[in-house]
Amino acid sequence: MASPQELSDFLSSVEQRAFKQAVYAVRDDDAALDIVQDAMIKLAEKYGDRPAAELPLVFTRILQNRIHDWFRRQKVRNTWVSLFSSMGKKSDENDDFDPLESLSAPDDSEIHQDGAYKLERSQLLQALESEISKLPARQREAFLMRYWDELSITETALAMSCSEGSVKTHCSRATQALAKALKLKGITL
Amino acid sequence: MNRQNEDLLKPTELDQFGRATAALLRHGSQSLPAGIKDRLYAARLKALSVKKPEKVRIQQQVLAHSSGNWSVGSRSFWDNVGWIAPLVVLVFGLIGIAQWQQDSRINDIAELDVALLTDDVPPDAYADNGFIGFLKNGLLADSDKDSLDSAK
Repeated sequence: MASPQELSDFLSSVEQRAFKQAVYAVRDDDAALDIVQDAMIKLAEKYGDRPAAELPLVFTRILQNRIHDWFRRQKVRNTWVSLFSSMGKKSDENDDFDPLESLSAPDDSEIHQDGAYKLERSQLLQALESEISKLPARQREAFLMRYWDELSITETALAMSCSEGSVKTHCSRATQALAKALKLKGITL
Repeated sequence: MNRQNEDLLKPTELDQFGRATAALLRHGSQSLPAGIKDRLYAARLKALSVKKPEKVRIQQQVLAHSSGNWSVGSRSFWDNVGWIAPLVVLVFGLIGIAQWQQDSRINDIAELDVALLTDDVPPDAYADNGFIGFLKNGLLADSDKDSLDSAK
């Protein structure tokens, strides 16, 4: 059973990594912070009595679920936004409303436009993070869990609710895609 | 086959590339802005404040370990006695009261039977209306006679 100190130490050790993983997925710092906070609270509230050894896997799963929930909410919100946008256009055809203004920014433009963000990271790290953000969600999850969280294939499969074969496939494809993308930019690790 | 030909890394190099990438990411995550770190710290404190409390396990004393510490087991025993004992006293009390009432009723009936059987008048006489009238008149005549004697 994890003591308050053990739980605090665990959260302290994973919070920055969790934040970065959330940022790779949602590409928004505020949303990523909310996701990490929700995941931490749920871990403490619902699973705070679990043994300390179980916390990493449980937290990883909660974090991934929170990220998926965020995407679901975004999808619903975007549906309503686009619906009301089209209704507004029909009601007032003379209005110079530009639908492009309601669309979210493409891919990594937010990251690249943020000057402070650029200063804090090296060119290599920026390129790598950018490519990780472009990976398909499942490949990114599998890659980060396997190599950053250092979970085993079995644990990763458990956290992702898929087979171990799927984890291997996702990891392999993610790694190959990253290697190719970096090579195109003239980067080798 | 085509996919394998397109792959840049050999299967043996995948893990090595993955670990190198993870090391770079890990290093990058250490240099977060102070504002982000503060918010993460606040989030951590908030999470710890709602931590699920630890379950308190009450150990039951096992009879096999009679030489061990009885404090926990004996407290459990007295807790049970605390609510069982009044119940037992109540049940036995009710049984005793019922038994005492039954004995009392039997004694009353027995005394009545004895009185009837030992009396000079047969029991059937008490069922006869004429005898009851005779008793009433006779008793009244006796009381009148007594009052006249006392007046003299």
